[in-house]
Amino acid sequence: MAVAAAEPETIWKPTVEELASRPIVIEVDHLDWSFGARQVLFNVSMKVHEGEIMVIMGGSGSGKTTLLRHLVGLMPPVANKVKLLGQDIGSLKALEKLELRRKIGVAFQFGALFSSMNVAENVKLPLRELAHLDEKTMDIMARLKLEVVNMSGFGHLMPAELSGGMVKRASIARAIVMDPKLLFLDEPSSGLDPVVSSALDDLILRLREAMGISVVVVTHDVESAFKIGDRITVLDRGHILACEPPDQIRVNSNERVQNLINRRSEHVEVDPEEYLRRLAGD
Amino acid sequence: MAAVLKVFEAIGRRTAKGFDEWGFGAALLAESVMWVFVGRYYRQPVRFSHTFAEMMRFGIAALPIAILLSATIGLMLAIQSLYSLGLFGAQNFAYIGIALSVTREFSPLIMGILIAGRSGSAIAARLATMTINQEVDALQVMGINPVRFLVAPMLIALVIMLPCLAMLANLVSIGAAALYVSASLDTSLGSYIYNTLQILKTDDVWHGIIKSSFFGLLIGLIGVMNGAGVSGGAEGVGRVTTRSVVQAITAIVVSDMVIGYLSTH
Ligand SMILES: Nc1ncnc2c1ncn2[C@@H]1O[C@H](COP(=O)(O)OP(=O)(O)OP(=O)(O)O)[C@@H](O)[C@H]1O
Ligand SMILES: [Mg+2]
Repeated sequence: MAVAAAEPETIWKPTVEELASRPIVIEVDHLDWSFGARQVLFNVSMKVHEGEIMVIMGGSGSGKTTLLRHLVGLMPPVANKVKLLGQDIGSLKALEKLELRRKIGVAFQFGALFSSMNVAENVKLPLRELAHLDEKTMDIMARLKLEVVNMSGFGHLMPAELSGGMVKRASIARAIVMDPKLLFLDEPSSGLDPVVSSALDDLILRLREAMGISVVVVTHDVESAFKIGDRITVLDRGHILACEPPDQIRVNSNERVQNLINRRSEHVEVDPEEYLRRLAGD
Repeated sequence: MAAVLKVFEAIGRRTAKGFDEWGFGAALLAESVMWVFVGRYYRQPVRFSHTFAEMMRFGIAALPIAILLSATIGLMLAIQSLYSLGLFGAQNFAYIGIALSVTREFSPLIMGILIAGRSGSAIAARLATMTINQEVDALQVMGINPVRFLVAPMLIALVIMLPCLAMLANLVSIGAAALYVSASLDTSLGSYIYNTLQILKTDDVWHGIIKSSFFGLLIGLIGVMNGAGVSGGAEGVGRVTTRSVVQAITAIVVSDMVIGYLSTH
């Protein structure tokens, strides 16, 4: 952690007002979601502006991944709930959806690398399938992106030969290889050592600086959330408790928000009956 | 009464689920066919290289076991025919039964069952693992249609390779039977082959070929349906793999019987 703190904060961050004046690129409108009888998202609304880095924080099982899956169109489509780049993903036609998807990059919580391809092929896949470039150009682009995530020289390895952190970084390389306008990262820094994780924060900030990319990051890492987030959304058991810039989150009066950012153990508060039922395996 | 209702309810639910699954299978097939024809328009063609790789994997790699099995079937039929026809002193007509049953029934059926066990399970396991690892989700968010990318090449490969294997099985089975029969009856190999070619009509061969294409499709669809419907981690992968083999073999045997009945009446 000391390493991260010692580095001078040189990367440019836009002001809150500046961001607010920019067009909205991601919009969630009163979204509810249930898995069977269990409701996991309650009336979630959220707006992300162009070039903004939105951090989603929340305890384990609070619905962060579920929200992210809605944002990237992996849940059954519902009209007028999620808009990306001004388009309602619930009512897009197949062809329009394919077009839109070229403009978004997603790194999954567990990497989701294709286990039958090596790292370089994984990174190249979107280019190969969607961009119609020649092999040499694809090679160069893949190598560049791998370098960006500090993975140059590992392109020939298979996903099974990577460490957890390397899987994460490779999947981020794959997510940014098409130079997306929107980037979604599900817990990019979990399982990374502090140095690499801090480098990843810098990377996210640099991508925004260089390409004006808008980013939604799900993270447990409070330090990283405060470092990169223009705003932080706190999700608690499917409810949005707060959505504010870091300095306001710090002084937010909600106790659960404070518990989360001060890493006090609030989410260990498990319903004993539910716990027993889980132990019993159903 | 309540118990009876429960039984009916259970049957009803199972039937509905069965229809659901067949609906899903039909949709998969329709989507695959669609991608073959309109993939270029969407700038997402079904890749020949993928299809070719699957053909190697499902067909060429199965050659040794396919040859072994069909030779054994040929011998088995020859032994059995000589024995049963021998009861009437009609061994010289063994070639008729062997030729017809090999081309119309045994080759498609045995190759179907072989590929169901060998590749149907592999398809289910691969798709299930990819689903659980979220590789299918990853394809989807990249804008790469999983049916186009994964499913269509496998279906095409099976629909092409299974008839090829059945064709090969025809040659090997009849060849093995010819060797055995001519050696046992001390007649010439040439005349056995000649007689076989006289009795075999193109229709019989086509019947087997088309049937095996259909079996290929069944194996592929059942594998994909089970693989994509996986739930519950590594254990789930094992479960859907087994299930897809059992279902594919059942589907092959039952539809073979139905086709056999319809085509001879
Ligand atoms: N496919 C599913 N079927 C049923 N329930 C699910 C499914 N996926 C998630 N859930 C439930 O939804 C709730 C939210 O899960 P989610 O994965 O969104 O949490 P999370 O905030 O991402 O947690 P973590 O930080 O551990 O990744 C959990 O209670 C989980 O059990
Ligand atoms: Mg999660």
